Amino acid sequence: MLGLRCVVLGLLASALAAAASVEALPEHARPDPFGDIVAVDRCPSCAWQKSVALEAARGGYVSFHLVVKLPERGDYSVSLEFEKDSGIELDVFREWFHLTDRDRSYYPDALIPVRFPYRSSMPEPDNRIEKQTAQAFWIDLWIPRDTRSGVYKGKSTLRSAAGNAELPVEIRILSAVVPDRDVITMDHNSYGSSWLASQYPALQRRFGNRFFSSDKFFRLIHSYHRIFYEHRGTFHQLGYGHAGKVGPEFAPALEGTGKRKHVAGWDLFDRHYGALFDGSAFTGTRRGPRPIPFVYLPINPEWPASFLWWGEPGYEAEFVSVVSEMERHFRQKGWTQTRMEVFFNHKKRYMGFSWDGDEVRFPKDDAYFLEYGRLLRKAIPASTPVRFVFRADVSWSMEEQFRKLAGVVTMWVASGGILSWYPEAPAMLHKRGDIVWYYSGPPEVSKPASTITRFPLQGWLWGVDGFIHWLAVDPGPDPWFHFNGGATALVYPGERFGVESPLASVRLKIQRNCVQDLALLESFKEQRGLAGLRREAAQRYNKSTPEQWWNPRPAFADQPPYEWTGSDIDRATAATDRILERLEPDAWQRVRQFVLQLASEEK
Amino acid sequence: MKRLLLSLAVVTSTLSAAPDDFVRQLEEAARVASIMIDGDLCQKIVTPRAMEFMFQTQPRDKWLASDNYDVDDAAFTAVKKTLIRISRLISFPADANLWMPVAGRPDKIRIVIRNANEMSQFWPWGALYQNMIPAMKKVLDSGRPLTVSEKPGWASVLAPVSNSLGDVVALVEVASQRSADAHANVK
Repeated sequence: MLGLRCVVLGLLASALAAAASVEALPEHARPDPFGDIVAVDRCPSCAWQKSVALEAARGGYVSFHLVVKLPERGDYSVSLEFEKDSGIELDVFREWFHLTDRDRSYYPDALIPVRFPYRSSMPEPDNRIEKQTAQAFWIDLWIPRDTRSGVYKGKSTLRSAAGNAELPVEIRILSAVVPDRDVITMDHNSYGSSWLASQYPALQRRFGNRFFSSDKFFRLIHSYHRIFYEHRGTFHQLGYGHAGKVGPEFAPALEGTGKRKHVAGWDLFDRHYGALFDGSAFTGTRRGPRPIPFVYLPINPEWPASFLWWGEPGYEAEFVSVVSEMERHFRQKGWTQTRMEVFFNHKKRYMGFSWDGDEVRFPKDDAYFLEYGRLLRKAIPASTPVRFVFRADVSWSMEEQFRKLAGVVTMWVASGGILSWYPEAPAMLHKRGDIVWYYSGPPEVSKPASTITRFPLQGWLWGVDGFIHWLAVDPGPDPWFHFNGGATALVYPGERFGVESPLASVRLKIQRNCVQDLALLESFKEQRGLAGLRREAAQRYNKSTPEQWWNPRPAFADQPPYEWTGSDIDRATAATDRILERLEPDAWQRVRQFVLQLASEEK
Repeated sequence: MKRLLLSLAVVTSTLSAAPDDFVRQLEEAARVASIMIDGDLCQKIVTPRAMEFMFQTQPRDKWLASDNYDVDDAAFTAVKKTLIRISRLISFPADANLWMPVAGRPDKIRIVIRNANEMSQFWPWGALYQNMIPAMKKVLDSGRPLTVSEKPGWASVLAPVSNSLGDVVALVEVASQRSADAHANVK
């Protein structure tokens, strides 16, 4: 009898397991293509959900993974609908499962825009995973600012030959509104534009030699700015090389030499930047048109003045004349919202120039910054409404440079490791009106999905203004089937899917949602005090205190920076590395619960 | 060896044909470079400290050599300015780059100064030093210039640079592309 009961139960269990289903996972628990959760994202609170209950403030996004599971190959359709008058806007993306070369595992990351109802078959034909049984969709729900607070219901419906299924979705919309202003700038860096030709080969072939001057090319550049803007970030594209070569679309065309050097034409520059500086490139976005907050200028030791004249009157004449013309052009166009960065990226190890513009290690190189500060003061009227900033990316010698270059450099992008020795630096630099960012890099997909939240949180706990993901547009030669992990990519080229613009990633979405939460969290600082909010967030995130996010200044910092080694620095930053090395998958979810708790208490 | 044979084959083929204006201009600039570049000054560019670190490696510090790379500003600037002037002898975009052998390491060669068009047929982006290029070895050994066209559409004329003792201590690569890529190496 007992045996018969076991057989019946076994058959029942097998039938249940074999049924088609539509299920959900929280954003930090990424599904794999076989109906499981990727190993690094598993945690007690990361369970499959047969119904979804969400809570969200207005003026922001709330997200989750919707997963279709089929017991066998076959066609299916899936949809998600909310009550008609909810006002909630739904964005749906099919999650691409990338096979990584390093650990031969699948991770969902690139997000391909699709519409519901979505009809396809399992395995998803283009993803080519032979034994795939689960297809994931990233669901973004945008809650407009004017949505009435309350509870809204929706339902996801799956239809397939293996059976039909439903997933109830309920969302409680709070009266709180996510502030439009971010508490930290999340920047995404890139170099030049030749990568656009390689990532969009069909487009490049279509336009041939005209590609780099076509309207399509500039729209493509703008689409990169737009995707980062829509994800509460910014985008930087450096337009010159380490020996001073300037890409034509990054600078006005120049003519003449010495005192006769002048701008000959603004055509490509204006087509590139005009819509970015007046904000019209962002028309139609949910955040609305707004000028980009920062941009690299093409100024380098070889542009606009030729290095041939360095140290001679001709260098000053060329530099001052052209930079003055730039100031006038920007002023006349009304481009006064964007911070125009004079930034030296070159390193002497790349043999272009004799000094390091980036990460000065040898103190003698600071003299060049002082000289360029003098030239800039001569070129730019003190009363200009154009917002020029002199930016320096600093590491080894930042402590000394903060002193020596005070009043010259006004924007500091610091190595995060070394900045962690100077907890007083952000306030000290802010006091004199400087901007402070730090450097980071996107975590690979093989790290827990929550890892990317570390960077906005760190910046907010430190009280800095922003951070930069060093390179965010290079997914490697074959991100689709031989993925390198994505440590230099948060977006993917869309051309493979017929999209002539970048695709977002799961990591980019999680990062956006995190900084959105931070904006909401900081809005409670009047009631709760900023220090208290920081303490609670750090505690919930990884049981740390804000003080633990700083390292003690090491004794070797008293020695000249050229006497330090990279290993010394690693040892002196190990303490913060340790508290962040085993981040729990739901680390940010615990902070979000705190934010939502505060938000739900708001009338 | 394959690279050497290929280089020599290309060199031979380039030299056996009458040089077109593209190559002729590069060769003329290279001839001037051999006269105008001061070999003694070139030897002062990279600091002894940088040379000391150049071949050091540490598993936990992969940037050890490049983080310690440093140059003498005055020597670098003086030679670079002359290289820029030499490139301006040419009517199309071209660069004059300085290369030097490594004392005690005859199997290695290093680029020391690059210029504004970021053109070179030989420099793998970012290398502090690299394996000796057979055509460069030939120039250093023979003291005679050589025209090399390894990459399609490219030409480089390698010109020897001597110091006051009459030793060939460096070479200038005068390089250009028949169809210049305005976007390459903007990074």
